[in-house]
Amino acid sequence: MGDKTDVWQGTLALMVLRTLETMGSQHGYGLARRIEQTSGDLLQLNYGTLYPALLKLEQEGFIRSSWGVSENNRKAKFYELTKAGHRQVKKAAAEWEQTTNILARFMTPAEES
Amino acid sequence: MRTLRALAHRLRGLFRSSPQEADFAAEVESHVALHTDDGIRAGLSYAEARRQALIQLGGAEQTRQAHRERRTLPWLESLLRDLYYGMRTLAKHRGATAIAILSIGLGIGANATIFSIVSRFVLRPAPVGDPTTLLALHITHDGDRCCNNFPYPIYTDVRDQAKSFSGVAAYDELVPASIAGSGEPERVWGQAVSSNFFNVIQLPMVIGRGFTADEERQQAVVLSAGLWRRRFNADPAIVGKTVVLSGHSFTVVGVSPAAFHGIDQIIIAEFWVPLGIEHLLAVGRPDQASREHHWLEVVARLAPGVTRTQAAADLNTLAGRFAIAYPKTDKGGGFVNQQAGSLPQSVWQMVYLFLAALAVVVLLVLAIAGANVASLLFAQAAARQREMAVRLALGATRARLRRQVLVESLQIGIAGGALGVLLSLGATRGLATFHIPAPIPLDVSLAIDWRVLIYSFALSVSSGLLLGLAPAWAASRPLLANALKGEDALARPGRRITLRNLLVIAQISMSVVLLCVTGLFLRSLQSAAAIDIGFRTDNLLLMSVDPRVHGYTPERTVIWLTQLEQHVASLPGVQSAVVTDSPPLSGGGRSDGFRIPGSPDTAESYVNTDLFMVNPGYFETLGIPRIAGNDFGSESATGPKAAIVNEEFVKDILGGKNPIGMQVTGGGSTFQVIGVVGNVKSRTLGEDTRPVLYRSLMQSVADDPAFMGYTLVVHTAGNPAPLSEAVRRQIHDLDPTMAVFNEETMEQHIRTAFFLPRLAATLFGTFGFIGLVLASVGLYGVMSYSVSRRLREIGIRMALGAKPGSVERLVLRQGLLLTLIAVALGWPAAWMLAKLASSFLYGIQPHDALTFALVPPFLAVIALAACYIPARRAASIDPMQALRTE
Repeated sequence: MGDKTDVWQGTLALMVLRTLETMGSQHGYGLARRIEQTSGDLLQLNYGTLYPALLKLEQEGFIRSSWGVSENNRKAKFYELTKAGHRQVKKAAAEWEQTTNILARFMTPAEES
Repeated sequence: MRTLRALAHRLRGLFRSSPQEADFAAEVESHVALHTDDGIRAGLSYAEARRQALIQLGGAEQTRQAHRERRTLPWLESLLRDLYYGMRTLAKHRGATAIAILSIGLGIGANATIFSIVSRFVLRPAPVGDPTTLLALHITHDGDRCCNNFPYPIYTDVRDQAKSFSGVAAYDELVPASIAGSGEPERVWGQAVSSNFFNVIQLPMVIGRGFTADEERQQAVVLSAGLWRRRFNADPAIVGKTVVLSGHSFTVVGVSPAAFHGIDQIIIAEFWVPLGIEHLLAVGRPDQASREHHWLEVVARLAPGVTRTQAAADLNTLAGRFAIAYPKTDKGGGFVNQQAGSLPQSVWQMVYLFLAALAVVVLLVLAIAGANVASLLFAQAAARQREMAVRLALGATRARLRRQVLVESLQIGIAGGALGVLLSLGATRGLATFHIPAPIPLDVSLAIDWRVLIYSFALSVSSGLLLGLAPAWAASRPLLANALKGEDALARPGRRITLRNLLVIAQISMSVVLLCVTGLFLRSLQSAAAIDIGFRTDNLLLMSVDPRVHGYTPERTVIWLTQLEQHVASLPGVQSAVVTDSPPLSGGGRSDGFRIPGSPDTAESYVNTDLFMVNPGYFETLGIPRIAGNDFGSESATGPKAAIVNEEFVKDILGGKNPIGMQVTGGGSTFQVIGVVGNVKSRTLGEDTRPVLYRSLMQSVADDPAFMGYTLVVHTAGNPAPLSEAVRRQIHDLDPTMAVFNEETMEQHIRTAFFLPRLAATLFGTFGFIGLVLASVGLYGVMSYSVSRRLREIGIRMALGAKPGSVERLVLRQGLLLTLIAVALGWPAAWMLAKLASSFLYGIQPHDALTFALVPPFLAVIALAACYIPARRAASIDPMQALRTE
């Protein structure tokens, strides 16, 4: 378990939060599929890693879960954002934007020197 | 915040794992089902769709494990498992565990007990407001390290001129008074304080207040909580009421908190009166204007932001200024300061040395105990090498195995620590029964306070970890191949001296040291008991009164005491009764420098002499031999002063000449020697014989009243104790308000005088015994372990014809060899350390031949006994059985 996983889990958490924000209540499998689709299938997600991330978010109080029934009548556990979760999406999104902006400055070729 | 919340969840997860486990299993199942549905919809077979779903999940079990690790705290969980497993292992080896815990418990109990003494007398701050900024000041002379009290004018000068202090207060440490109220009259001790005293020490009162500035000369009193409860039934409306102290009325202004009985924490003062009216209670106090009499204790409160160093510099400047202004009295003077409430500097060195010696001894006890535990853990590690090897082979890391062993030794350490604290609870209670020889009430109670608890806990954790370290290391490195085959996997090939042998050698050599020290103190007690104290100890009853605090004039005091003598002497069963100011061996008393008139008046020509006041018949009553001249009897109170001296006085001061009729001066008076008596131990048992001068009580009461009151010595025909009631009745017949105190038989009084040798012998004897028991248990453990290791070898020897006797000798020889090496190491160490103890020994040399000659053979006998059982077992081995084992 090196830094990589942490970074990955960090971004995964943001993806989960963001997906729940746009789609509303969703079960684990649905979330995994949705994240894959949103990434334009560029992301090969090991679905199993999603669950510890969900558990962490739930322990932190950003999401809550309850058992329900899926569209094709299977019992499934559904996750949804809490109030704190909604705030966290905004905060994390803003932070992410800032990070990418900073990184972008390094990535674009220098214009004047 | 979020992290904390998550942590709480995970902690909870630790204890409620099974429902969550099932819940998540269901979730994984539903995930796979949903995925499989999608696969079937995409045209796959059910089996293939499910296989794909599981692959993409990354495995159901792996997912569950990842989830579990996130749900709980894996390290904590495995630690708990270690704890639980450790407890099970310890419980399985019940005998060994009990010995280990008992060993550590004894070691830590000894340390906790000694530390409670340190905590009480060295570390505990004075029970005043903000003790760190309250300093006790003393005067030094000519660069002496220590130290004298203050004359009143120097106190006021320091108070008015020192800029480093926000307040400076003075007090007279001991003022006697008799107190009336409910019940029999009682003599109590208090202090006379400057009116700012309670403000300077910042003591909040239970009720009422301290003194105000204009009460310096008022008859006001602050009562201690104890006195208030004892004599006044904790009357909540006591403030403003009048109490009578030694016949004078005082108005109560406040009650001090229960924890406070004076700044120095040892003397029990029970009331406080303003310094300005002290003369009502205590006669013969120095003139307040005198710059020569050093009699006041002084405490000073540092001003905010001023350090002790700055204050010391400030005081130095003052000392220089005083020396110029008052060259006669203040030249060469200086000031020292210490934290208020710490031990008086005069006894520091002695107390520290004593505590240091005790600390060394109890650490030795702990080390011996620790060696036992380490040894036992090694044995367990050896017994479990197969288990360890299997776990290693199955992939456990060595670190994990080490942690397992460490957790176990830590559990032993903590359990031992808990036992130790319990033991020291009992020990401190036992120590409290020792009475310090002093005529005033002292608080020397010990208790297990928070400092002792923290110390014991730290000690048990660190010894637990330290002891486990080596066994843990050994246990984690079994020779795998050997272990799995069931052979000895811890004994490295080619190594003959094992760590356990080294441990037991260390243990025995430490107990050699311990036993030598113990032997010295036991011998010291024995020789103290044989000290010729010079007077009778049996059939004497002592009872003290202090007529002065009841308002008696000197003349009335003498008449009253003489009457009392006559009344008591006429009681049936009483042979004689006589009054003195204080019986010998009271720990200290009056003394003064004496010389022959006409000899040069320099400091060197004065010989320090102990002073006693006695009535006629004193020497017969105490059985002190009269050697020459007469007893008192024909003096008049105002006539020329007569004295009876002891032989030592004749030798030291009168140069061995015939003393009868000679004149001596001292303490501002001239005496004519009328008699010579035998030497007695005058203050303490351990003292070198001191010169003593007996004055006539009748001639001394007026000029130099006894500070501690007067003691009636009654010589009885038989056991004196039953007569005490009758004697007491005689006292109350003469004056029903007279307070009686220090009532005891001479035997009890002497036992108190044995305080130091008895305390030392008890402490060192206990620790020495514990150390010896622990070391022999250790030796026994090592020997029986060694026998069990060598079962097969011994079996072969016996099969080849060795006799049981020779096998027995083989084992005994091994044990004795270890003992011999240990004694060779420990004996010289003890020899060197013995010097440290020399100042606490009575009548024997630190290199006492008997002790040092007896300890090695004694230890050898104990070692032999410890090895005998394993040796017998070795000899009774059935060779066939032994060879077939394993």
